[in-house]
Amino acid sequence: MENTIVAVATPLGKGAISIVRMSGKQALKIALKFFNCNCQIQPRKLVLGQFDLGDVKEKCLMAYFKAPFSYTGEDVVEFQIHGGVTVTRLIQEKLIQGGATLAQPGEFSKRAFENAKISLDEAEAIVEEINSESEAQLKSALSLASGKLNQQIKNIQTSLTNLLAHIEVSMDYPEEDENEIVRDEIFKTLDENRQLLKQILDQANQSRFIKNGINIALVGKTNVGKSSLLNALVGENKAIVTDIEGTTRDVVEASIDYNGIRLNFYDTAGIRESDNAVEKIGIEKSKKTLDECDIVLIIYDGSENLTKNDENIKKIIKKPFISVINKQDKTRKLAKQENEIEVSALENKNIEKLKEKIFKTAIKKSIDFNGLVVTNERQMQHINQAIKQINEVFKQKNQSLEILSMLIKNVWNTLGKITGETENEDIISVIFSKFCVGK
Amino acid sequence: MKESYQAIVIGAGHAGCEAALALARKGHKTLLLTISLDAVAFLACNPSIGGTAKGQLVSEIDALGGEMGIIADKTAIQIRMLNRGRGPAVQSLRAQADKVNYHTQMKKVVESTKNLFLKQAEATKITVGKNSTTVKTAVGDEFEAKVVVFATGVYLDSRIIIGSYTESVGPNGFKNAKQLSSSLSKLGYKLLRFKTGTPARVNKRSINFEGLELQQGEENIQPFSFLTKKPIKNKANCYLTYTNPQTHKIILDNLDKAPAISGEIKGIGPRYCPSIETKIVRFADKDRHQLFLEPEALSTDEMYIQGFSTSMPSDIQKQMICSLKGLENAEIMRDAYAIEYDCIDPLQLKASLQSKLHESLFFAGQINGTSGYEEAAAQGLIAGINAALYLEDKPPLILSRSDAYIGVLIDDIVTKGTQEPYRMMTSRAEYRLSLRQDNADLRLTEIGRKVGLVDDKRYKIFLDKKQKLQNISLLLKQKLKIDEKTINFFKKNNENPPKNSISLKECIKRSNIDAFKLNAEFNVFEGFDDEIINEVNLITKYEGYLKQQEEDIAKLKKMESQSIPEDFDYSSQKGLKIETIQKLAAVKPANLGQASRVSGVSPADIAVLGVLIKKHKESK
Repeated sequence: MENTIVAVATPLGKGAISIVRMSGKQALKIALKFFNCNCQIQPRKLVLGQFDLGDVKEKCLMAYFKAPFSYTGEDVVEFQIHGGVTVTRLIQEKLIQGGATLAQPGEFSKRAFENAKISLDEAEAIVEEINSESEAQLKSALSLASGKLNQQIKNIQTSLTNLLAHIEVSMDYPEEDENEIVRDEIFKTLDENRQLLKQILDQANQSRFIKNGINIALVGKTNVGKSSLLNALVGENKAIVTDIEGTTRDVVEASIDYNGIRLNFYDTAGIRESDNAVEKIGIEKSKKTLDECDIVLIIYDGSENLTKNDENIKKIIKKPFISVINKQDKTRKLAKQENEIEVSALENKNIEKLKEKIFKTAIKKSIDFNGLVVTNERQMQHINQAIKQINEVFKQKNQSLEILSMLIKNVWNTLGKITGETENEDIISVIFSKFCVGK
Repeated sequence: MKESYQAIVIGAGHAGCEAALALARKGHKTLLLTISLDAVAFLACNPSIGGTAKGQLVSEIDALGGEMGIIADKTAIQIRMLNRGRGPAVQSLRAQADKVNYHTQMKKVVESTKNLFLKQAEATKITVGKNSTTVKTAVGDEFEAKVVVFATGVYLDSRIIIGSYTESVGPNGFKNAKQLSSSLSKLGYKLLRFKTGTPARVNKRSINFEGLELQQGEENIQPFSFLTKKPIKNKANCYLTYTNPQTHKIILDNLDKAPAISGEIKGIGPRYCPSIETKIVRFADKDRHQLFLEPEALSTDEMYIQGFSTSMPSDIQKQMICSLKGLENAEIMRDAYAIEYDCIDPLQLKASLQSKLHESLFFAGQINGTSGYEEAAAQGLIAGINAALYLEDKPPLILSRSDAYIGVLIDDIVTKGTQEPYRMMTSRAEYRLSLRQDNADLRLTEIGRKVGLVDDKRYKIFLDKKQKLQNISLLLKQKLKIDEKTINFFKKNNENPPKNSISLKECIKRSNIDAFKLNAEFNVFEGFDDEIINEVNLITKYEGYLKQQEEDIAKLKKMESQSIPEDFDYSSQKGLKIETIQKLAAVKPANLGQASRVSGVSPADIAVLGVLIKKHKESK
């Protein structure tokens, strides 16, 4: 059975609308796992609906093309999205979770060709497309910054190859008990590699911070002093209002430079459940801001007790946050909050400390400019997938070695999609170079 | 006057016997030439058949209607299931075979088979003609046939090496084939020079078994052949001993006398079967190496020292052996030796084992750069079948990597070639979960039937098993009542008792419960053999993983269904990289699947190739 493929069909970050395209037998089924609308889905008809991203529902357009009347000749579903890079990325991710696989270079065109949707005369163009796209991937993989990622992933692959060789030698040479693998060793190695992959993701995020800055959302009920805090934070720094990828619908209130990294502050409307339609839109938007930022500042009035509203706010936050206790100048009534810092926006107290805390919460360690890796969307997907596959091995901890080996090979293959190493003949070479086997 | 046959098989080792039997059984008048009638199906090295991955090969040969499994069962003197504690895919049968009896039994089958003519003669020259190929022998006889299968083993221009002594002979001092290599060269074949070796044999009476670890066989194991219904009786024991610092010192002190290390031996030896001197040099940190003492046959007291292959001079060998525990007073009956021989580059073959250069020639066994009796027999069977199908003007039998280990073996050597004698391993099979020894009959009997080698008796046994499997599968939907007995059963097996009734299938899927336990407690599979219960247990327990593998297999099959025309000219294609063109043109893969496995060919190359092939086919 041919798998269903998905990819962003428009250049990321350019243009107001981006299109995510999916092709294959399961396309509609996967789409409808997430897309809701109140109308009937008909082929070749654009419908408006909502894409369920978990916490947020994103309004978007969907078109369904029934095979063979589509670009590829298979069932095709396209989403038109206004939400910028982050939302586009999330939608693609969801569809992958739903069962689609990321398309290979030129794969849509290749399928179109195979299904005779593209004439023979255009074969050369397709060949060109496949070659140029895979070359572009290769180039980006070998570029200075990404070459580092490639090397890191290759090292992980090598470690897994050695692990697999040890598992395999235990099975292929069961009579030579000195080569027997200890089960704990398998999981130790897997865990180490999982940590490495997570580190790479962290580093990738750091790189993103350097490029785009850290996005910080300010949240709190009205009158806790959000605006004055924002002013204090921005201070005499000239506020730069920017239009940043992925956040086009949100207004960046201000950006400042801190230790070479841009801190982008976003205000949110006061969040409380409301019947008022206008206010509701504001709330939806605030929730979205909260979802897309890197760090949340929850602002409390230190001179008041905790209210139900404060608690409600905290509940919806899933990002790293700092509890900012404002009005340090007044007597403290509020109980101790998680990860808190006391400031006075009015008297400009502890504002520098807050900036430092923001920085440290986002970056965690000091930025290692040498350790930076640049990843693209595709690479991030594969790394995430590999981590999930390692988790899966842990879930099957008690299975026999051959099953564990099969699951670890899945991880290896996923990483191979980043490095381009797709054949694993090394396992057998390692068996013979590391283990003393044979008659 | 030339004697005429439909087929000639050169060499009556494990490959040659299977090839000749397949041809003759399919009704083709076949001449089987052997350099010595006393070397027919000779177990030149270790006296054992099977082992990891090799056990699977033997059962596959059997399911297709080959002979090895039947003879191995008949002549086994000890039998064990390796990897018993592990998963089902890597469990393999290993038998100590009676070397004398194996040869005798196989020879008897060969010489009593209709259409098959066994003759002692050394083939020296091959002439490929338009309608027939002529094989000339050393004494000047000429035989002609439409097809010729080469199964010459390690006899091509071979020489054995013991220290500084070398002699141009075949294994065990048998006569070798001195002229055939140059005839093959002239026909255009690229020859490789490989090396292997065998350890010394000692007299059992001189071994002190006291203090050596005893290794006994197991009772009641499903044999290699699906026709063998009586369990195999264990009649002999093996023993374990180890090298020690003294052994290592003797070897290290005499390294300059080791031909493999001094450079006297130029052939490429297998990494998986290193001589003891190589092991000690390469794994200097290991203070001991495991050695097995195995009986060669019931009719002799010769014992084989597994793990101790060497090409050291005879006097050093003596010192080495006498340094081992239990062998202090060992009487050496045969010295260990290394052997160098010619083989062809298997990249010159199609997956049918037919030559790409001359369509009347087929190749099987060690001449293709493999090692091992089982690997040889598997190729012999396929080469024999395909030579027969060629005579019958029918398409060849090509087993896929997802059908059988035999498919993996042949695909590996004809797609990737080999840099050393190739040995089968379970790690080479990506679909090994489906390629188990227990289901070899389910996978291949139908194919063997179609080919014409599966007789009614075997086919009936197969159909019976299939029917029983169907019947037992229907039982899986049955539910267990939740009563005290059921609850206790679950508790006893450390499983949470179910709240509602539970199907047998769900029970088997629990990690601490299996079909056997279930049957012992509730008698749910009454009347079914262990073989059937075992099968249903595996299929149920591994259902999810098998399904994942099936999806991968479906992708493979799709790729393999896209054939590449033989006249496809890589060099004129735009869009493929020059290195890729060179790599593909060297192998000339038969389909897109095989192309994807050529070393150094990327997925993007394959995507491009797919487009180009479609264009090529449609523009014709």
